[in-house]
Amino acid sequence: MTVRTIAVGYDGSIGAQLAARFAFDLANQLGANIVLVHAIGLLGRTDEIEIVRDLEETAVVMAGEAGIDPGHARWHVSQGDPCSALLRAGNPPLSADLLVVGSRGHRNDAGLPLGSTSHELAERATVPLVIVPSTRAD
Amino acid sequence: MLIVGGPVPSPEHHRVGHPERPGRVEAAMAGIDDLHLDEDVEVVPGQAAPLDRLALVHPPAFLQELAAFCGAGGGDLDPDTYSTPQSFEAARRVVGAGLAAIDRLKVLQAGVAFVAARPPGHHALADRAMGFCLLNAVAVGAASLVAEGERVLIVDWDVHHGNGTQAIFWNDPSVLYVSTHQWPLYPGTGAAREIGGADALELTVNVPLGPGATGDALRRGIDELAGPAVDAFGPTWVLVSAGFDAHRDDPLADFALSSGDFAELAKTVQGFVPRPGRLALFLEGGYDLLAVRGSVAATLGELLGAPYDAEDPTSDDRSGAMVERARAERVRAIRSAEELEREGPG
Repeated sequence: MTVRTIAVGYDGSIGAQLAARFAFDLANQLGANIVLVHAIGLLGRTDEIEIVRDLEETAVVMAGEAGIDPGHARWHVSQGDPCSALLRAGNPPLSADLLVVGSRGHRNDAGLPLGSTSHELAERATVPLVIVPSTRAD
Repeated sequence: MLIVGGPVPSPEHHRVGHPERPGRVEAAMAGIDDLHLDEDVEVVPGQAAPLDRLALVHPPAFLQELAAFCGAGGGDLDPDTYSTPQSFEAARRVVGAGLAAIDRLKVLQAGVAFVAARPPGHHALADRAMGFCLLNAVAVGAASLVAEGERVLIVDWDVHHGNGTQAIFWNDPSVLYVSTHQWPLYPGTGAAREIGGADALELTVNVPLGPGATGDALRRGIDELAGPAVDAFGPTWVLVSAGFDAHRDDPLADFALSSGDFAELAKTVQGFVPRPGRLALFLEGGYDLLAVRGSVAATLGELLGAPYDAEDPTSDDRSGAMVERARAERVRAIRSAEELEREGPG
């Protein structure tokens, strides 16, 4: 299997930052493109400019840290909840062939036991999925 | 006769500054008052839905977790969805108001019910609260009717796709789910190619429409895409997820409907009702209070034959193409499913 594009879910949470760093490192090792996917929820529409600014900055900084040409790092704002946004990342135009997500995003930061994006993705993803633990040893 | 389930404004489930707020129910009730129905209104407050009725849709483990989370102080269920210590009970009362309204219709065998309650429900999955929604009231209402042997049509004209309701009945041959919604928009589900599970193929009808869609697009979508499915299905009850955030003044979406368009939609849906006393509407979204008030009045005025003031219905030259795109995608999905069925396993 050749991994050309990695999509990583990014909501700014600690879990998402860990997942993104893992994904950027992996993209560097595989020579793959990477795209940060941010799902805009019902309320996010009002903060879109701020969200885009944060994504742009994060993509540039993480690409630099991982030693990736910034031209291979993109970001994508997607309408929807995080799960459906990442599921759609496997389809054109993003056509990701690997999804990466943190085990705990904002939704689960407070230890909320009710469902989770990572669990739902594990059940429904149609391309390979990596779930990055929120408490990594390194 | 109008049966009002609730009202359940749930002031105890409130976060200052959040658009999903108690004033929405007050606006809906003001819309009802504008119709001056006098003795033709019966208010059915309802009670918190019993856990065994909720369990028709929501697994007991989820109900316990949600109750415990709220009871421990509540908090954010996702970036959009808040809870307070009283939110679980508030959501139970919403479901209870819906069940009470349906029960009253069964007794009267006449009239129309409107459930004026919040928080809304159509995004709530069986085991997950999301999109401002904690428990799925329209789904519990439909499941209760199905348990009695009924066949239920759910029409969801909220501007957002009712992912929760669709998922809950995805493979249920006793429920036909029809949704018109903006695409792309939250929650990201609701493509026209989503047509139902193996046991309920073609019993999900999605009409995704682009930003700026006008009332004629929604009417045509329901008429032309859902109409044949409704005829084939033969519902014995019709429930409506009546969001009013497709109104052009709504701050959370980009459709261009007027209050008069909701009256036209109501008329279209009324054509699907098999006999009197089999139509119940549930308040879902709608975040501009004046738009909610005017749209509720237009919707219910049309259904009840009461005089109402409304903005003119809207139309646009692009509507036909929008609906045609949805139809083409649905037809492709149906053909593909039929081919798979012919080929069989292996």
